[in-house]
This record gives sequence, C-alpha cells and structure tokens, in this order.
Amino acid sequence: MTLALRLGWRNLFRNKRRTLIAGLAIGVGLASLIFTDALMQGMVAQMIKSATAAYLGEGEIHRRGFRLTQEPGLTIHDAAGVEARLEKDPDVEAFAPRAESFGMITSAAEARSVMIVGVDPSRERLLSQVDDNIRQGAFFEGSGERDIVIGNALAEILGVEPGDRIVATVSQAGSGVLAQDMFRVSGIYRFGIKEMDEGFAFVRLAKAQDMLGIGRGINEIALKFRDIRFATRKDNPFWTAYSTGGNEAVSWAVLLPQLRDALGLFWISLAFMAAILFGIVAFGIINTLFMSLYERMFEFGVLRAVGTRSAGVRRLIIFEAGALAALSIAMGLVLGLVLTLVVARTGVNYSGIEFAGTTFSEPLTPVLQVRQFVVYPLATFLFTLLVALYPARVAGRLRIADALRKSL
Amino acid sequence: MRCPRTSTSRLTGLLFLAATLLCAAARPLPQTVRPGRAEEIVRRIDELYRSDTSESTVEMEVVTPNWRRTLRMKVWSRGLSDTFIRVLEPKKEAGFATLRLGDEMWNFLPKTAKVLKVPPSMMMSSWMGSDLTNDDLVKEFTFAESYHFEMTMPESPEPGILYIKCVPKEGLPIVWGSVVLAVREDDLLPVWERYYDEKGGLARTIAFRDIRTFGRRRIPSTMELVPEAKAGQKTVLRYLEAAFDLALPADIFSLRNLHGGL
Amino acid sequence: MVVLKMAFRNILRQKRRTVFTALSIIGGFTLAVIFIGWADGSYNGIIDRFTRTRLGHIQIHEKTYLARPSLYKTVADVPRVGAVLDGTKAVESWAPRVYSAGLAGDGDKSAGVQIIGLDPEREVRTTHFERTIVRGRFFSGVAAREAVLGRVLAEILQAKLGDEIVLLSQGADGSIAEDQFVLVGVASSGDEMTDRTAYYLPLVTAQDYLVLDAKVHEIAVVVARLGRVQSVARAVTARLDDPSLAVEPWQVFARSFYNAMKADKAGMWVMLLVIVIIVAVGVLNTVLMSVLERRREYGLLKAIGTRPGRIVRLIVLEVLLLSFVSMAAGAVLGLGANSFLARHGIRFSSGLTYGGMVFDTMNSEINARSFLIPAVTVIAAALLVGFFPALKAARTDPARTMRMH
Repeated sequence: MTLALRLGWRNLFRNKRRTLIAGLAIGVGLASLIFTDALMQGMVAQMIKSATAAYLGEGEIHRRGFRLTQEPGLTIHDAAGVEARLEKDPDVEAFAPRAESFGMITSAAEARSVMIVGVDPSRERLLSQVDDNIRQGAFFEGSGERDIVIGNALAEILGVEPGDRIVATVSQAGSGVLAQDMFRVSGIYRFGIKEMDEGFAFVRLAKAQDMLGIGRGINEIALKFRDIRFATRKDNPFWTAYSTGGNEAVSWAVLLPQLRDALGLFWISLAFMAAILFGIVAFGIINTLFMSLYERMFEFGVLRAVGTRSAGVRRLIIFEAGALAALSIAMGLVLGLVLTLVVARTGVNYSGIEFAGTTFSEPLTPVLQVRQFVVYPLATFLFTLLVALYPARVAGRLRIADALRKSL
Repeated sequence: MRCPRTSTSRLTGLLFLAATLLCAAARPLPQTVRPGRAEEIVRRIDELYRSDTSESTVEMEVVTPNWRRTLRMKVWSRGLSDTFIRVLEPKKEAGFATLRLGDEMWNFLPKTAKVLKVPPSMMMSSWMGSDLTNDDLVKEFTFAESYHFEMTMPESPEPGILYIKCVPKEGLPIVWGSVVLAVREDDLLPVWERYYDEKGGLARTIAFRDIRTFGRRRIPSTMELVPEAKAGQKTVLRYLEAAFDLALPADIFSLRNLHGGL
Repeated sequence: MVVLKMAFRNILRQKRRTVFTALSIIGGFTLAVIFIGWADGSYNGIIDRFTRTRLGHIQIHEKTYLARPSLYKTVADVPRVGAVLDGTKAVESWAPRVYSAGLAGDGDKSAGVQIIGLDPEREVRTTHFERTIVRGRFFSGVAAREAVLGRVLAEILQAKLGDEIVLLSQGADGSIAEDQFVLVGVASSGDEMTDRTAYYLPLVTAQDYLVLDAKVHEIAVVVARLGRVQSVARAVTARLDDPSLAVEPWQVFARSFYNAMKADKAGMWVMLLVIVIIVAVGVLNTVLMSVLERRREYGLLKAIGTRPGRIVRLIVLEVLLLSFVSMAAGAVLGLGANSFLARHGIRFSSGLTYGGMVFDTMNSEINARSFLIPAVTVIAAALLVGFFPALKAARTDPARTMRMH
C-alpha cells in the first residue's frame, strides 16, 4: 500500500512539466470556483448594502402600525429597554433611534413637504451615510439646537445656504396641533438620489421629540448588523425576539420587497452560472486526467508485463490521481486565496459609463468564507478520484500486448 | 395678529389668507406723533385686521403663469382659529366650503355632497406649490410682540409715508430676515409691506389699496400679494363687504353647516 | 499547401489525442457560450421585466418634467407623438399617462394621493398593468367613472370595492377639481411608496377632472428588444423633431435601478473573465501537452531537412485547424443549448412575485457576443500555446529532441 502511494507520488514528478501543467489546470479551476463564490457573495452583499446603507438600515424596529399610518404618536414600547438590549446584542453593529414625521419646511422663498427626522448624531453617523455625503457645513457638530441638515436639491428649491433660517412645521402626535420651530441650515448633503436629496430634513432627536410632543418617544430604530447576511437569514430568531410588547422588528426584505425579489432573481442566475463554471472545471479535470493517463498506457502495459496485478495498476492510477489532486488543490487554494485577497483589497471598480456617474458607488469586494476553502477542495478531490476510476479500469483490463503496442 | 392657516391647495390656501387677513379690527387712533411712535404704528397694523368675529364677502383673484381665476366667497371668522368659507362664484366652484376649527380642517365638495377631512400631514403639504409661508400657517406673530422695530428711512422716501423696519426676535419660527412697513403719515394706514430674507433679498410684497369704511372701521379693502421669486404670479384680495364684532350664531362653525344653509 | 495536408493528416493520425484536445476545446467553448448567453439573457431579462411593468423602456416628457414635475408641463400633441411611435418599427407599444396630486377620502378616512390617469387598453398592452390588480378588476373603459387604488392606500382609507372614493384636487385652469369615483380594483405594484399613494383613474376621466383637454404628462414606450432602447430613443427624437420634448431611456429615468444593475454587470464581467481564463487554461493544457509530446516528431522533421519556419507553420496550422473544427462543433452545441434556454428558460419552483407578476423562468439570449468572446479566447489561447513551443521545437537541435522522451 505504502509502496503504491510512494510510487504514485513519485510518478508525478517524473514528468514535471506534465504534472505542472495538469496541476495548474486543475488548480486554476479550483481557484476560480473559490473566487467566483466569494465574488457572488460580494455581489449580493453589495446589492443589499447599496439599498440599505444610505439611510434605511438592514432592519428596523417600530411600534406595530407605525409603518402603515406613519402616526408620530405610535412610539416604540419601552424604547430605552430595547436600546439597552441592542447595545448588548453581539450581532448588532450599530443602531440609530429616530423620531420622524411628514412636515413642512419653509424658507422666505418657498415651502416644501418633506420627511422631518430627529436623529441622534453620534449613533446615526455609524449607521447611515448622510454624514459621509455632507458637501457643505457639517453633520451636527457641536450642540446647536437649531441645527438642521438638508439635501442639496431641497436647499436649491428653498433657495437657502448654510446659515440661512428656515422654519419646520409638524403636526403633533394625537392632538394634531401644528408645532413650528425655527432652524438654521447647518449642513447640506448630496446623495445624487432625488428622493434623498429632496425629501428629508434632519434635526436633533430631542428637538423632534419636543416638536412632535412625544416626550422621549422613538418612532423608529434603524439597525445595522455585523454580518450583512444576518438580516437575510431565514427564520432568524432576531426578528421575533425584538417584536415584543407591541413592537415589530422587520428586516430590509420586508421594508423593500422589490429588492428582495430582485435578489431572488439574481441568485437564480448566479446559481446557473456557477453550475456552468463547475461544468467547465469538471470538464477540465476529466480531460487533463484522461490525457495524462492515456498517454501512459504503454507504461502501464509495462507494469502489467512485469507482473503487477490489475488491481495494483488500478490502485496506482487512483493514487496518482489523488496525488495530483492534492497537489492541484494546494496550488488552487493558494491561488484562490491570493486572487481573492488581492481583489478584495482593490475592489472591482466601475466608472459611470454612458451617463453621469453615481456619487457614492462602492467597489465590489469578494467575501471570503471558510466554507469555500473546505467544500470546493473536497469536491475537487473526490471528483478527481471519481474521474480516475475510468482510466484505472481500462488500465486494469488491458491486454498487455495491446498496451505495449499503444502509443498516443 | 395673523391667524393660523393651513392649505390643501393653493386655492384653499389663499382662501385662508383672505380669512387670516380679515381676522382683525381697527380703531381710529389720534394722529399726534409721539415718542414710541414706531410701536404705536406697529400695534395699529396688528390691530387693523383683528376682531372677535367677522363676516365678509371677499373676491380673490389669483394670477399664475398658467391661469387666472377669480373667486367670490363669503367668509366668517371667530377668534383666531375658527373660520368658515363658502365659495359663491364662479359656478363650477359655487357651494365649495371649508371649515377650520383650531388645527382641524374639513372641506365640503358640493358636486358629490361629501365632506373630506384634511389629514394633518396634508394640512401642511403644498400640492402645487404654495407662495405663502409658514408665517401664515400656524402661530400668530404680531409685529409688536414678535419683532424688534424702529423707524427707518429708505433711500428715496415718498412724501407723506412713514417707514418702519421690523426684525424678528431671535428663536421665533419666522422665515423672514426683516420686514419693512410703509404707512401713511396722516391715518397710519398701511401702504405696503415688504418681506426680506436674511440676506436682504426681497421675498414678497403686500400692497394695500382702496381704503374703505366698513361699519366703524376704515381699512384698505384691497391687498395684493406678489412673491418675488415667481414670475407672473400674484394674489389679489378684495373686500366687497365686511362686518366686524357682530354676533354670529355658533353653529356657523359646524360640520352641519358645511352641507347646507347659510 | 503541403503543410496544410500534413497538418490535416497529423490530426487524423492520432485520433485519441486529437479527440481529447478537440473535446477540451469544444467543452470549454460551448460552456462559455452558454454562460454568456445566460448572463446576458438573465441580466437583460431582469431589466426588461422591471422596466416593462409600469416604467416602460423609454419615456417621453416635456423636457424639464423629470427634474421638476408640474401639472402644467405636458405633452400637448399626443396624436402626433403616437403616430411617430407607431411608425417606428422597433416600438412594440406605448401608453400615455397623466399625473397630479390630490386628497382622497372614503367615509371619515382621508389621505394625500397621487392621481395617475391610465389608458386601460394601452396600458394592458404595454405594461400588463392588469396583472398588478390583486382585488377586483381594471377599468372598463378609458372614460369610465372608476378608480383603482394602491394596496396600502386602500388599507389606509379602509376602502371596499364598490365604495365611492372622493377626490379633491386643482385643475390645470386653477379651478377646484372635485369628484368621486367607484372603487373597482386594488393594485399592488411592489413599490411601497406607490402603493401608499396611487389613485388610478381612466385617462380621459383624469383629463376631464384635471381640465387637461387631451394633454398628458408622460408617454411610456416599450420596445421589442431591450438592446434597441438607445437607438430607438434616438430615432424617435429625430423623427419627432420637437425640442420641447425629451425622449429618455430607462437608464435616465430609472437612475437608481440602473446603478444597481451596473453593479451586477461589473460582477458579471469579472466572472466572465474567470471563465475566459479557465477556458484558456483548458486549451493551453491540452494543446500544450499534445504539442510537447510530439517534439520528437518535430525533431525528426528537422533532421530530415524541414526548415524551422515550416515546422512552426505546421504546428500552428494543426492547432488552428483543430481549434476551428472544435469551435464549429462547439458553436452548434452552444447555439442549440442557448436556443433552448432562450425559448424555455430555467423554471424554478418558488415563483417570485414582483409588481403582481409571477416570475418563474429565466431565459438565455442568443447574441453575437456569446460566440465571439469564446472564439477569440480559444484562438488566442491556442495560438499562444501552439506558437511558442513550436518555435522552441523548431529551433532546438534535432539530435536533442530525438533523444528525449
């Protein structure tokens, strides 16, 4: 047994060039499987991120009914308790409490209906990208009570610049009494997305709570998780755990059903393509193995001629294939790791092609996972062995005379 | 004082401007000039259109780049926040009515004979762009209480006109940077008001004309509001009849009234 | 010519090696063709579906409408635009729309709405709007006094089919627009914001209500093939010859969707690169092995006097010949597979719903690119792997090569 193993191994190195070529072919195949898997994960993560990172969050907690009616009086039950839990929750990377309502913003020149959102700046910074997109002024630096941050499109409509005064009006919770306050534009952001740039005005949380008359109530807590796939996991207990006491916690899949559907379609496509990829790699393995083995039928004929039994020859071929697989896998893993890491560092960047580019487009990064480095090598190894079975059988059944006469 | 106003459309919004501007009364003042004159003038302006109750017939002409329309309507007001408006002409809109009680508002649609409550979020949203401001919307601001004011002299003053510059007190939800009032020296009736943003740009002008006497009040019966930023746009309010501080039956300001009667 | 005959005969001489090399090329080529066909097909399929339902591939507006919508920015001469569209071959169908804002009420519930006027017959043909109806039905006619509400709006108003839903707005002549319409259906578009505010009316009803005469705000156009969108937009612009109108493709009016798709495209390109490399490596592998194995032969040839240049040509020709034949076979297979997948697609069990439509198939598409890219890859790889060893074989001392193996 050990002899066969050693022979198998050494045979590999007898013809270094062939081994190297064959090994590389299989290795590249493996590397590409790993890389593609990582890339696919990255693509999905990217799609989710681009839809949720700007402002929405990967999940949100509200009082039940708030999503439908948008009634500011519907505040989260025991918000302080919920926040304390979130703080301790290891899966949650950041959370941002908000008090919000539709309201009116007026300047000397114009009036506009927008969503007025009271935020906690230190928490909001860690979650949404408004602060990253500030073009003028700042995102709530200092502690000015009258700070208000708006989008550039809104600023243009209102005809205001940082420092100018505007007035916000909201309808108070429950009573419907209209409450107004004066603000000074302290920051202007630009996403390049019309809805964001035109439709929001951010103020300090305490101010919004005061205007809405909800005391210390919170209408919404936006969530960001450490792992972006956390929110997509089916039957994740997180959502039920936080949907207590009249609250409801929902993931982006509920908030953005069209994104969920788009991703569904996308996954199907990717799955098919992965299948094709695997097909190509498998094909490559078959081809490589067959060629290298068939070419050496003469050798195996000689082996049989000097007395090796069929079983022995079969074993030898299998072991050689196994050795080749092992070698290829080693090469493939290294190659795959290096390739993925390199691309992960630089990201896949794309410039705006036909039309004006997006303002905030993050490069695509592949996502490395342990699973990729276990499943694919294993599959490759097993597959190679499987493929070697056929030539092994042929070699075992050869009539020695035929083998000695054969040459490719 | 100005009455809170909400709008579901520019038209209904402007209906309320009318009501707003009519929620007051004036009393003739002695004409001697004294120190603290600015304050006197300003208080007079504030009082000019304030009353406990009023009933008036108003014509409102709205001019926009796309259309021009004149409505005739009957307006009742009580206190600062209760108003009832019934459109009389033109025929297409005749019968349309709006009731405002505090912060709630209902519209009556004559064609369908249905009442539509204006939801709080819609009370503030401007459908087709409003050229009126928050100042007209919610809190009452008086020049006397909410602004610092002083007599001023423009570059080329007109004879017989006094000018007062008002700057809003800090912290109040007023969009204006400053307001300049021009009043007639002899009877202290307003000639125009100019609203500026903080950078000194003119945002809108309200001109007062056609002084008439209604009962015991003598007030400009025509008000013309011209926003600066929008070309070809203006609103003119004309008071055809007006009575102030009269006894009004309480059920004018009721949902039932929306459907019919008065 | 002798070289060609020799190349040909060489190929036929060693069947097994030839077969293996050929199979390798065929396999890689075919799969690459399928991959590209599928990638393009499914990508375009997603775009097509998303834009076709509701948005349309192309939209025509008054030129400043998209930036700042307004009731007064209209497409005035709809018949003329319609005639131009009907006369453009690649246009499949078109549907005019009217938009405004209003206040709607049912009983004591009221809400701010977006009024959307649709031509039922055209809309069905263009965007299959009727598929978004989840309760009740679509309009019975273009001037019917009927309304359809967005799903969430119906919930907010607690409206039931048959209710008269009151609508208050402002007409284009400044007058108060007031009416009520019978609720005949509830629609779910898949977009929360739309479903929360949409108050659909038949087009002529909406135009009368808003005093718009025969004007509209938008004309949505669907073209036969997604790839023609840009060229059709240009053609229509030229034929309309109206500087007050903007004819814009979905990349402009569905900007955020476009950006999301661009992200996918980038990822696809990378995967394609990976495929190309694998195919190339596969070709390299097999061709190289076979070329190297035969160095003794080439040494022999050289020994008997064949000029190095000829040997190179021989090798290269052999490789190319093999490649072309293989590619031809691969092309046939690939074409067959892509045709099948284009027609039937892959059916998956958990049908996804978007905008009321159920998607349970994804299809490939047949295009030139799916053949060209693999072809270029294979030829480049084959040449590369044929050429250099050939050069080396041609130059090496024959005695040495004959002593090898």
